[in-house]
Amino acid sequence: MNSGRTNVLLIEDNAGDADLLRLRLLEGGSQVDVSCVDRLSSALAFVAQQPPAVVVLDLTLPDSHGPETFRRLHEQAPSVPVVILTAVDDEEIAVKAVQLGAQDYLLKGQVDGKQLARSIRYAVERQALLTSLETSRQQQLQFKDEFLSHVSHEMRTPLTSIYQFASILCDGLAGAVSAEQRDHLGTILKSVSQLQAMIHDLLEATRTQSGKVRIESHGMGVAEIIQQAITLLRNSAQQKQISLELEVDRSLPLAYADGDRVLQVLINLLGNAIKFTSEGGAIVAKACLVEIDPVFIYISVSDTGRGISPEAKPSIFERMYQAPEAQDTSRTGLGLGLYIAKELVELHGGRIWVNSQLGEGSTFTFTLPRFSLDKLLGPLITHQGLLRESLVLIQVEISSVLSTSTFRRKATSLRCREILQRCIYPDRDLVLPGLRNGVPDEIFFIVASTTLEFAEIMMTRIREQLVSSPELKTSGVFKVSASSLKLPSVEGEVQLEKLVLQVAEHVTAIVKLALRKPQNSNQISNPKPVDGRTEKRRMHAKAKNSDRRR
Amino acid sequence: MPKQKILIVDDDPDLKKGLNLRLRANHYDTVYASDGFSAVMMAQKERPNLIILDIGLPAGDGFVVLERLQKNAALATIPVIVLTARDPQTNKERTLKAGATAFLQKPADNAELLEVISAALDQPPGTMAQS
Repeated sequence: MNSGRTNVLLIEDNAGDADLLRLRLLEGGSQVDVSCVDRLSSALAFVAQQPPAVVVLDLTLPDSHGPETFRRLHEQAPSVPVVILTAVDDEEIAVKAVQLGAQDYLLKGQVDGKQLARSIRYAVERQALLTSLETSRQQQLQFKDEFLSHVSHEMRTPLTSIYQFASILCDGLAGAVSAEQRDHLGTILKSVSQLQAMIHDLLEATRTQSGKVRIESHGMGVAEIIQQAITLLRNSAQQKQISLELEVDRSLPLAYADGDRVLQVLINLLGNAIKFTSEGGAIVAKACLVEIDPVFIYISVSDTGRGISPEAKPSIFERMYQAPEAQDTSRTGLGLGLYIAKELVELHGGRIWVNSQLGEGSTFTFTLPRFSLDKLLGPLITHQGLLRESLVLIQVEISSVLSTSTFRRKATSLRCREILQRCIYPDRDLVLPGLRNGVPDEIFFIVASTTLEFAEIMMTRIREQLVSSPELKTSGVFKVSASSLKLPSVEGEVQLEKLVLQVAEHVTAIVKLALRKPQNSNQISNPKPVDGRTEKRRMHAKAKNSDRRR
Repeated sequence: MPKQKILIVDDDPDLKKGLNLRLRANHYDTVYASDGFSAVMMAQKERPNLIILDIGLPAGDGFVVLERLQKNAALATIPVIVLTARDPQTNKERTLKAGATAFLQKPADNAELLEVISAALDQPPGTMAQS
């Protein structure tokens, strides 16, 4: 609002209606400046240029109809209040727009100047109130996040002191300790790790809630991750003489998931299972495919514990839920474990649920998407319903002969992936996700929607970037090679998805072959560096073919 | 074999003392610094085999220290383990990118810390592999 005047944008295609409204607006007595457009497209452009104080909108325009008209305008300018104009027989549609966020609606032909002026004034006021509420809500959320992050950081420092000195005493580094003293120190150390887990969960829950958890999915072996979780919890299970078993079909396909996050989910589920199973019980972790839902891998943790009552079942995945029976005996934890597990599983696109009978144990099951290269490749290697004209597979090898330290190798690998990511066009090229668990990648593959000629440019960029990176410089040799991918022939009617799948299978075969080879070998037979000239000829032929296809 | 020397950089005297006890018990030599500026000075003077570095430090935080170490050819090859109470989610990648060898959050498990130290000492970049 400039100098007390209200800028009104009138979006109305009927010139007669528009004139009448303009008149009504001016006669309402308030200080208004009225601009008028007759298309949604011009309205969107107008709003982007100079947002008005309020919009009066006819939902039926030449280039848009119904609530959709409002939705698109609101999407473009969510903070501009909108008053809907509607015909008497379209009142329902106007109500729908109000539900979508419009401030008010007026019936055409029944509008007088005063009514219009009041509606506009209210719309502006309500929108201002809404905006300030939203701003303060955001500020509060951010404050809470920062506060929790700060608090958990501050708590870790004294906790570190307690841990360090208790463990120094316990290990006898400051003189001999009696068995009883060692026992007491052990209790302190156990409490330290509980407190540490709680701080971790607290931060994690805040993060999942504010959408700050990042998932870095790759091809992940489910059996290995379950095994890792079991190894980590073996001790606490043994203390209660609970058996902990793994049942996984060795031919289970890879999941497309973030290994660290899945490990976290499994630790939460297995940890709970151990907590609620009495001495001598049994816990089984299983992973399998289910015929009716073949794109997911099903992972379950079953125990012979006390089970969950039907009343409790709906709320166990909620934040701060505590099993009522647990409160007296083993109140350890904030009741965030299952909440975090659920959030993490859902971030992967999976589901989590529980089957349980009171007194007969519980089975928690969650699903993870199967790793499928074709899904990742699909959007990148197709264009306007066709496979791209040429695809190139670039292979980058880093031989870190100088370092056998896993930490150093992991850092190198991470850095290399990052550099490659920077060298590609993310909407048409893909750095293939790593396919091995925990092992730092030393061979990377890029599927690029380009010709070998242009791939050369990308490869030069990759070489330059790798060589100039300080961390990678020291780790030695790089090898960058490329070959064009044989595209499936398009004879007759073939589904695009089938073609993508064929490319994906072809790539997978090459990658598997390359990974099976001993590392650091000087011979790379596949993909082999290709003779540029013959390739170019083939590319030309292909380009022509695809022209004809169009 | 001479003892390996570790530079501990932390501004909390208790943590420094505790870490010092733990490392000496495991047959490492230790030297320390309490701020970013003296950390680089000590690295230059003492030429430690490894540095354990906190992030929140006066006179140049951990990132500044990493940057200065990386700029100095003689110090750039010393493996650095970042040991901090800060959140790995927002700091781990950043420190690794800045040249750290490993990132551990406080309180770090003793066994894990010692393992990371020996792995990092085993293979500083630029030496021959012994495997």
